[in-house]
Amino acid sequence: MPRTLVIGFGNIDRADDGAAFAVINTLRRRLGRPPLGEGETGWEETGGDLDTVFLHQLTPETAESLVAYRRIVFVDAHVLENAPEIHTFPVTPDFEPAAFTHHLTPAMMLGLLKALYGAEPEGRVVSIRGYDFDFRRGLSPRTGELAAKAAELILGLVENPVQG
Amino acid sequence: MASRKITIEPVTRIEGHGRVTIYVNDQGKVEESFFHVDEFRGLEKFCEGRLYFEMPQITQRICGICPVSHHLAAAKACDAVARVEIPRPAKLLRELMHMGQLVQSHGMHFFHLAAPDLLLGFDADPATRNVVGIIKANPELALKAVALRRYGQRIIERLGGKRVHPNFAVVGGVNAPLSPKDRDEILADHAEALATTRTAVDIAKGWIEANQETVSAFASFPSCYMGLVDHEGGLHMYDGEIRVKGADGKLLAQFRPEYYLAHVAEHVESWSFLKFPYLRKAGWPQGTYRVGPLGRLNVVDKIGTPLAQEEFLRFRQINGGKPVEGSLYYHYARLIETVYALERITQLLDDRDILSTDVCAPAPAAKIPGQGVGVIEAPRGTLFHDYSTDEDGRLTRVNLIVATGNNNWAMNTASGLVARAFVNGNRLTEGMLNRVEAAIRCYDPCLSCATHALGKMPLEITLVGPDGTVLDRISR
Repeated sequence: MPRTLVIGFGNIDRADDGAAFAVINTLRRRLGRPPLGEGETGWEETGGDLDTVFLHQLTPETAESLVAYRRIVFVDAHVLENAPEIHTFPVTPDFEPAAFTHHLTPAMMLGLLKALYGAEPEGRVVSIRGYDFDFRRGLSPRTGELAAKAAELILGLVENPVQG
Repeated sequence: MASRKITIEPVTRIEGHGRVTIYVNDQGKVEESFFHVDEFRGLEKFCEGRLYFEMPQITQRICGICPVSHHLAAAKACDAVARVEIPRPAKLLRELMHMGQLVQSHGMHFFHLAAPDLLLGFDADPATRNVVGIIKANPELALKAVALRRYGQRIIERLGGKRVHPNFAVVGGVNAPLSPKDRDEILADHAEALATTRTAVDIAKGWIEANQETVSAFASFPSCYMGLVDHEGGLHMYDGEIRVKGADGKLLAQFRPEYYLAHVAEHVESWSFLKFPYLRKAGWPQGTYRVGPLGRLNVVDKIGTPLAQEEFLRFRQINGGKPVEGSLYYHYARLIETVYALERITQLLDDRDILSTDVCAPAPAAKIPGQGVGVIEAPRGTLFHDYSTDEDGRLTRVNLIVATGNNNWAMNTASGLVARAFVNGNRLTEGMLNRVEAAIRCYDPCLSCATHALGKMPLEITLVGPDGTVLDRISR
């Protein structure tokens, strides 16, 4: 298996924006690892063939921590009405001009990785439909169900990269 | 207890969506332009009923880019609520964390957001007018830029345990001293961070010199200016009095932060969730002001570190000693402040009290009915936190005026000026979008930090005809 990182990102204080946090912790349980606590990223425990981390957002300095991976799965919430509730697609390096946002998209992160370090890992996005972005913790019932399914999907993707 | 649930449509509840609506007349000339921020600030209401000392942790979650600013402003407000004077070492350590925040935030803005405009041009191909274009043009500088941001983030992490949403400032001080090892490691990487920033200053100055006409005219307008000053009128990001100067550079007001409500009012427009703060004594809209790097450098008399002061004197000459008006000068001012922050880091680390373990005042009294205001200069500008509590310390009222809110009028004015200059007819062009973005980007607004769900547009521009018909729409 190519060395793989599953990187979830979002805001756990905005309800379904924390969907990736639930996915990462489900994965960790399935892999026999302790779930991440509030504020823990998981970076300290990386170094294996399949690592899992959770970040508030993707930022430029994250790139150097990704250089060693051959495959990266990005997990996030989405609000796309016309996309599947679990929306998964390959992602390749790209870099659109940023308007004012201070975070990077998965494509931009891969673009930065390629441009700065010449690294071109295989990229995939697994995005879960969010329905509630209120100021609270915990997922809406529907997004909670989707997060559990997404974790299983990711385990399948890791074992079989062409799936999905 | 009865409760009410207010439901707001998702588009208004998810931060990260800015809109510009431009109204044109029969001749295709711009009549009006509005920059809307679809940001519903429900957090203030959400905090009511919480214990005041939770606020340094709660409010920093407004944002993933400048959480330290909210963390520290909240801690200052809590100190005021509890009537505690924090030990000097704690004040130094809070400021040190704040300087780390300033370095990472300003560094990120310049290299990631501003430099593509400056170095590659507003009309460059969008496929290359980005940080990758910068990397291709100067890969060594790009790596150093990443290292600069990491340097600021590592200071935050060393003090607060993590880069985003640290746990450090508490009522009465901070929860841990700085170790000699961490101090030495911060100092070890300092020279490279400063060198990278000075390179960026030279890039910005070179661009300004080469594009003098554009820089002077682009989104340039008179306004008042606001920022914290120390007791000598110098730049200070953590503490001091609030100074407001007029468009002519004359002092309009200087006051202690706790009296801000006597001086600052907020105007409301039906088309934006963001309010429009202004100086009461000057009235609306004459009292509208700009905050952030340009606002700060236009109100201070000096900067207390040598290299930044040297650069500040050059900045002051741009408009013959009067306030600098061009929005693009924000980029230059931002880099001068980054130099200041890096120099200030060494001042703080050299202070005899920086390793002291006296970092927190004794616990405050159990019963503390009252009110407290905390003000700090966030990277984007003056940030107000104002809390009222009952005698058990439960919050009964929370008022936050964030930097992007303080610059709301300015961003509207800047984008409107650019629209008038570049829109003609019934179509929107990529060049127009680029320039409106560039004008707003000068202010480094924070529109999209709290949630990042896939599928949101950071900016949408709509062109509306005299009969209300949508003539064109362009989004990024």
